[in-house]
Amino acid sequence: MKCSYACQSAEHLQSRRTFLGSLAAGVGAAAGLGALVRPAAAEELQKKQRQVLVVWLAGGASQLEMWDPKPGTDTGGPFRAIATSVPGTYISELMPQTARQMHRISLVRGLNTKENDHGKGHYMMHTGRPQMPGVVYPHLGSVAARFLAPENDPLPGYIHITPGGGGLSGGEAAFLGPKYGALYLGNGNAPANTVRPGSIDDLGASGREALRMHANDRFARRRRTAETEAYTASYDQAKLLMERREVFDVTKEPARDVERYGSHDFGRHCLLARRLLEAGATFVQVTHSNYDTHNENFDFHLEQVGEFDVSFAALIEDLAQRGRLEHTLVIVMSEFGRTPQINHLYGRDHWGTAWSVALAGGGIQPGIVVGKTNERGTEVVDREVGAGHLFHTYLRASGLDPLDSFEANGRAIQIADPTATAIPELLA
Amino acid sequence: VATRQGGRRRVAGGVGWVILALGATVAADEPLRSRIDRAIESKLDGPVAATATDGEFLRRVSLDLAGVVPTSAEARAFLDDPSPYKRERLIDAILDSPRYARRMQYVFDVMLMERRADANNLADRWQDYLRRSFRENKPYNQLVREILAADGLDPAARPAARFWLDREAEPYLMTRDIGRIFLGRDMQCAQCHDHPLVDDYKQAHYYGLFAFVGRTSLFADPARGNVLAEKGDGDVSFTSVFKKKVKNQTGPRILDGPPVPEPDIAKGREYAVPPADKVRPVPSFSRRAQLSPALTSGNVPEFDRNIVNRLWAMMMGRGLVHPLDFHHGDNPPSHPELLDDLARSFAESGYDVKAFLRELALTRTYQRSSEPPPGMSPSQQDPALYAVAALKPLSPEQLGWSVMQSLGVMAAYRDEAVARFDQLDPKAKAFFSLDEKRRALRDELIEDEVVVRLSPSLGPFLNQFAGAAGQPQDASDPTVHQALFLSNGEPVQSWLAPSGTNLTARLAALADPGAVAEELYLSVLSRRPTEEERAEVAQYLESRKDQRPAALKELAWSLLASSEFRFNH
Repeated sequence: MKCSYACQSAEHLQSRRTFLGSLAAGVGAAAGLGALVRPAAAEELQKKQRQVLVVWLAGGASQLEMWDPKPGTDTGGPFRAIATSVPGTYISELMPQTARQMHRISLVRGLNTKENDHGKGHYMMHTGRPQMPGVVYPHLGSVAARFLAPENDPLPGYIHITPGGGGLSGGEAAFLGPKYGALYLGNGNAPANTVRPGSIDDLGASGREALRMHANDRFARRRRTAETEAYTASYDQAKLLMERREVFDVTKEPARDVERYGSHDFGRHCLLARRLLEAGATFVQVTHSNYDTHNENFDFHLEQVGEFDVSFAALIEDLAQRGRLEHTLVIVMSEFGRTPQINHLYGRDHWGTAWSVALAGGGIQPGIVVGKTNERGTEVVDREVGAGHLFHTYLRASGLDPLDSFEANGRAIQIADPTATAIPELLA
Repeated sequence: VATRQGGRRRVAGGVGWVILALGATVAADEPLRSRIDRAIESKLDGPVAATATDGEFLRRVSLDLAGVVPTSAEARAFLDDPSPYKRERLIDAILDSPRYARRMQYVFDVMLMERRADANNLADRWQDYLRRSFRENKPYNQLVREILAADGLDPAARPAARFWLDREAEPYLMTRDIGRIFLGRDMQCAQCHDHPLVDDYKQAHYYGLFAFVGRTSLFADPARGNVLAEKGDGDVSFTSVFKKKVKNQTGPRILDGPPVPEPDIAKGREYAVPPADKVRPVPSFSRRAQLSPALTSGNVPEFDRNIVNRLWAMMMGRGLVHPLDFHHGDNPPSHPELLDDLARSFAESGYDVKAFLRELALTRTYQRSSEPPPGMSPSQQDPALYAVAALKPLSPEQLGWSVMQSLGVMAAYRDEAVARFDQLDPKAKAFFSLDEKRRALRDELIEDEVVVRLSPSLGPFLNQFAGAAGQPQDASDPTVHQALFLSNGEPVQSWLAPSGTNLTARLAALADPGAVAEELYLSVLSRRPTEEERAEVAQYLESRKDQRPAALKELAWSLLASSEFRFNH
């Protein structure tokens, strides 16, 4: 019987003593609640306010119509490749604006994730691990919320701007707990319950707050515990979030920027991402949907990549010019790429064998290309990497140690897949 | 008469220290509750928290065993009852009430399903099945036997099959959850090699369990929906990633227990119904069918220790083994002999959950205050010593129902349901008052109706407070969204507005600020206010006297949002 290695351990680097030691510490720290120990390295980093922006191209964007064009071949399709601000680096002509930003962006063209399923590809690209029954790992956004967000940050640590519905989900955080789950801003709308009901006037609001705090003080007089403190702190955080509700309101941005980013949802969502990052949000993901082009791949990409190009290039430029890019890691990814073979409906199908991801910003060496596919784009011929290598790279670029461990209910679990390592040439 | 290990033990009732010689005999009829207190108190040598006040005890036992705080009328009646036996009577009344069955339904649903999605449209019937099981106090081993034996074919037993079906009958997931949920051992890391950090978790243990379910898969039956199917062959072999040359084999086996005997089956005779297109294969010998009897045979001490530890944690706020699914040699129980005693007693009682919880509720250990006495050091407050009662965050269900109870939302629905019974024709009315059993049935029907009608209101609480699907639900940090929900969201804001006989309407009818304070505190916190709190209520009402209805809402909300309400203390 084939063993599907759920813990992916070639070896467990952590010593037994460390494990048992942290176990004992966790037990005392918060009985009953998830006992998690924050690595000292992460503590250090929070002072520097590292941020992460993920642009998620849902459905699987075509590397051939974006980052790794193959013009003039049977797989290349109708579009040309254009020169970019990096001599010798060519990308699809569908991205003229992004071409001018390529000195700030690096490409991984040798990605082989061996996964052609939407759900599994989604999981793998968000967690850096293959999906296995019986065990779920936290998403990159939850890891960032856990280790990069300042203590008691009023903004949720993992914000996801989607074209779809809004709300809260703890699933992404897995064993880290719902606090580190994703907050979805459906169509860019502010989170629920951030407006005080009209029936409560200013006096009533301050009155009930004072009463609540008095009641808590009476209760805590002799019972002070980490749990009641975390509970009362969540109300302080709620108050701050309500006061800062405007950070979710993209209409407060200048009209000129709205125009630059494009008068479509994705443009508005990218502008909201900029606003949130400037307000100090730790991790912002923007989803652009949908690239699952089994039919008419070229028409769809002409439209979709056209939107992407304008908004994404404006965002990169702004982050760079405002000095944010140096501490903001930017990732553009999908579940997988699309087949070099063009099917009879002029579509491209799911393809995890040889595709690309774009990176920029904090901790990433700018303007380089790592890895290479062959002339027709049908396989990786140089520096093949997988989702695990990327995940390690994201963490290293953000100043986190991928070999550190989560403490989940008394168990130590390495943050990133133990079988992979970071891609050294990408790290600044 | 049983022989028990002796040693230095503290004996109940402040008698002081009694030195029992090693091997001293103790009467076997000493109730479990005293043995528990003796075991816990023998490890204490410093200050111990006082006995919980009546209010503290009432709220605690109501939440733990009924899953909801009492109404103000119930609180008033209990606090004013002068009987020295009132605590025991309250425990028995709750255990006999329909609310106990509902509370246990929630506890076991969360424990067994961990908020997995209702992929097979069985969740409602599964909940009913669990509730009925606890209503009739079905022995725990029988409940587990039924759940593990269910394959979804028999319509009557189909709800119990949800355990496997909503795990998609995925063999690795089934293996992991048999280990975690029924044996208290998360052996996931032993899938690929002996656990690197836990000596007791062997790869052979993992694959011994895997062998029961490795041949099982989901089969889409056109008439019934998903059911379980099983192959008639396929052996389990495994290699450690560290010793790739050594190939091991195992048949079905529970940990270090004896291998399950298997008949010799001639080649070509593996199937009663051979696999074919759109046909559910039936093996001539089912390995999965061996799991239920093997696990519940009474010869698996890990099975017994796991469940008593989980029930203990439900009451005491922390397992004797902690975390609950991490039983192993390097993570020993805080009170090893007690855990063994609990496991043995529970098995000897015929796996009687209700009787077991009753004994726990009657201990001094359970009835201690959560307030440490002055001068108690942090190490003396170590939760593993049980010298002070733990603070337990309310589960999403406890929180939702308790908000509805406190604000008088449940009472309105209960009154309606009672009225409907009162309007029945005399014959039907007579039927429901014929004897104790039928009166109980009436109570149960009323309770069911209230819950069914209000269950949509529980949804937002589950959305906000439940953990992620497939993860242990006993641990999570509070979130800002929960605070926002309770501060500004629906349905809580509507419930705070005065209506009918709800809390704020009742308070509005009381002119005296002292009476307001009393009704408010009894309704929300199940106790009477202190002098300081009475004064605060009076002062607040005075300061907002031109806005009295608003002030009453603000007072009610402030207690609802307080730590005292959020925790079972």
